[in-house]
Amino acid sequence: MKFSFTSDQQQFAASLREMLEREFTAAHLRHVWETGAGHDPALWSRLAEMGVLSMMLPEADGGMGGDFVDTILLIEELGRAAVPGPVFETMTVGALALAGTPWAAGVADGSVAVTAALMGERYVPHTGVASVVLLSDHDSIRAIETSQLQLTEVEGIDHGRQLVTLAGTETAGVFVGSDRETATDAGSLAAAAYLLGLSSRMLAIAGDYARDRRQFGQPIGSFQAVKHLMADALLKVEFARPAVYRAAWSHATDSDTRARDVSMAKSLASDAAQKAARSALQVHGAIGYTWECDLQLFMKKAWALMPAWGNSSYHRRRVSDAVLGPR
Amino acid sequence: MDLTETADEQAFRAEARAWLEANVPSGPLPSFDTAEGFELHRQWEAKLYEGRWSAVSWPVEYGGRGADYVKWLIFEEEYWRSGAPGRVSQNGIFLLGPTIIEVGTPEQKSRFLPAMAKSDEIWAQAWSEPDAGSDMAGIRSKAALSDDGSEWIINGQKIWASRAVWADWCFGIFRTDPESSRHKGLTFILMPLDTPGITVRPIAQLDGDTGFAEIFFDDVHVPIENTLGGVGNGWSVAMATAGFERGVSLRSPARFNVAVDRLIKLWIKIGDPDDDTMRDAVTDLWMQAEGYRLHTYMTVTKLLEGGHIGSESSLNKIFWSEMDVRAHELALQLLGPDAERIDGPHERWVDGFLFSLSGPLYAGTNEIQRNIIADRVLNLPRG
Repeated sequence: MKFSFTSDQQQFAASLREMLEREFTAAHLRHVWETGAGHDPALWSRLAEMGVLSMMLPEADGGMGGDFVDTILLIEELGRAAVPGPVFETMTVGALALAGTPWAAGVADGSVAVTAALMGERYVPHTGVASVVLLSDHDSIRAIETSQLQLTEVEGIDHGRQLVTLAGTETAGVFVGSDRETATDAGSLAAAAYLLGLSSRMLAIAGDYARDRRQFGQPIGSFQAVKHLMADALLKVEFARPAVYRAAWSHATDSDTRARDVSMAKSLASDAAQKAARSALQVHGAIGYTWECDLQLFMKKAWALMPAWGNSSYHRRRVSDAVLGPR
Repeated sequence: MDLTETADEQAFRAEARAWLEANVPSGPLPSFDTAEGFELHRQWEAKLYEGRWSAVSWPVEYGGRGADYVKWLIFEEEYWRSGAPGRVSQNGIFLLGPTIIEVGTPEQKSRFLPAMAKSDEIWAQAWSEPDAGSDMAGIRSKAALSDDGSEWIINGQKIWASRAVWADWCFGIFRTDPESSRHKGLTFILMPLDTPGITVRPIAQLDGDTGFAEIFFDDVHVPIENTLGGVGNGWSVAMATAGFERGVSLRSPARFNVAVDRLIKLWIKIGDPDDDTMRDAVTDLWMQAEGYRLHTYMTVTKLLEGGHIGSESSLNKIFWSEMDVRAHELALQLLGPDAERIDGPHERWVDGFLFSLSGPLYAGTNEIQRNIIADRVLNLPRG
């Protein structure tokens, strides 16, 4: 029994964090929002170059041949930076579904971004950015070039996650390898890991503000009302963390408890993100309610991802079915 | 990462399970907060010691098995799953023992540890005072050196001393530098509770039993050899002990997993299958208990790989104590009219509920834990 990551896994995540802290600050993210591009092509190339995007792609396809345990800390770091575009979708669902297809090389070199709508989503995220969309067809998956589809943009809250409705999907595309549940579990788990990183970032931003902002002659972080608010949020985040890491193991080993473990991870991570966003906003007071405050970039990503890939109550029900027996 | 057990770990689990199946008393013992129950629990502890299961994580030379943290967790899982009695020896084996192993002299180790492992000597805690509860650094009970320097002479009062009514020894911190204040000038001292000058006054708890007590010290003479960790170091020695308590040892996950399994059985037996609110609530509890178990395995792996557990142990303490209250509240809600009965047609829950309510209070209230997390984990400014 060993519940930890190897030093290689930790070092890769640390180097990704350093790169993102240097090259993708909140100001960069805000710039992506302002241009309306929905993602950052230069950053995408950088992630491809580092091998981040192809971590789960087989070596035969030019990938790193890693599993979900190798990948989970990387996704958490991408979440900490709120990297825009279909990044965790491409890395996990995209790599699983497109392995062995002509698109695989493009996932590895960064020329193919992948998005997915496998759970009956009304709005498909990132479709303007992605070149391939994965759609469910009963228990199978079809991959379709987005250029073949009619896209109608709808405005969403997170400008790093553009939304569209699709038309012309009925027969287009080709069937690809992965089964739907393996892919949706991958997407749900990746969203959970990304939310974990986002939550940590929101608490870090709130902590910086609480140390800096003074009222009644002292930093507001010295007041117990503020301390306890933040401690409670941290509690939620830190107890979601091992559930996310365990689900990575369950996915990597194709465990019998994969569905339960992934759903536990997504349910806890969504609840933790909700609490972290709400607490971070409250710590900021009125400034947190402004467009100017960077916190909004992260909160809105969290609010977009909490319901994505199955919301907390969907996943809680899935855990119930496993633990208490089906209804 | 490898979340499967090694062959060695599996063998250890099998050995523990077999021994417990053969030896755990068939029915529940009376509460160890009663005179009769205390002695029966002491006998059970002696039996555990005979099987070398009383202090599995201690070194072999003191009666343990030198089990690493993972094996200790495995033992705890088997222990609570078997329905074995609560550990009356908790204060000694899980709190004081590891502290003696870490900072005690060789003489102290050989004097205290074997007797503790056998439960020949059962220990009480003596931390809080009437004016030093959450603010424990406000301790005023004094220990003064005798003229020849061979003894401490102790005067003062302790309160909320767990197990003190029937225990044999107590440990606590006392002000040894009369000029000092707050965290300085305190010393960790061990003494038998039958030392002349000590008066123990039992306090009835919420459940009516006397699990804790006041201890009055009136010119109590204690040999200087009973100082643990050096004169003036009491606060840091106490914090090491409290760190064990809040972090890993006090509430291993297994008892919550077992409690939640009982809750699930109760829900399956008497729950309304159409009550989705209750179904979700029970599921949340399962996730919390499972989350706590996973968190603990992550913590012990970190320790085994040479890491340390610091103030983040306060996170654990809040988590398990609030989860425990919630599990019992849910069970009582499920029981409906039977919730009010001390011993109804279903398994007993109300006494467990009362006990769970002490969790957010003892070992430092959860508000104090939140302060510690904010100050030392989130690095917020001190108030």
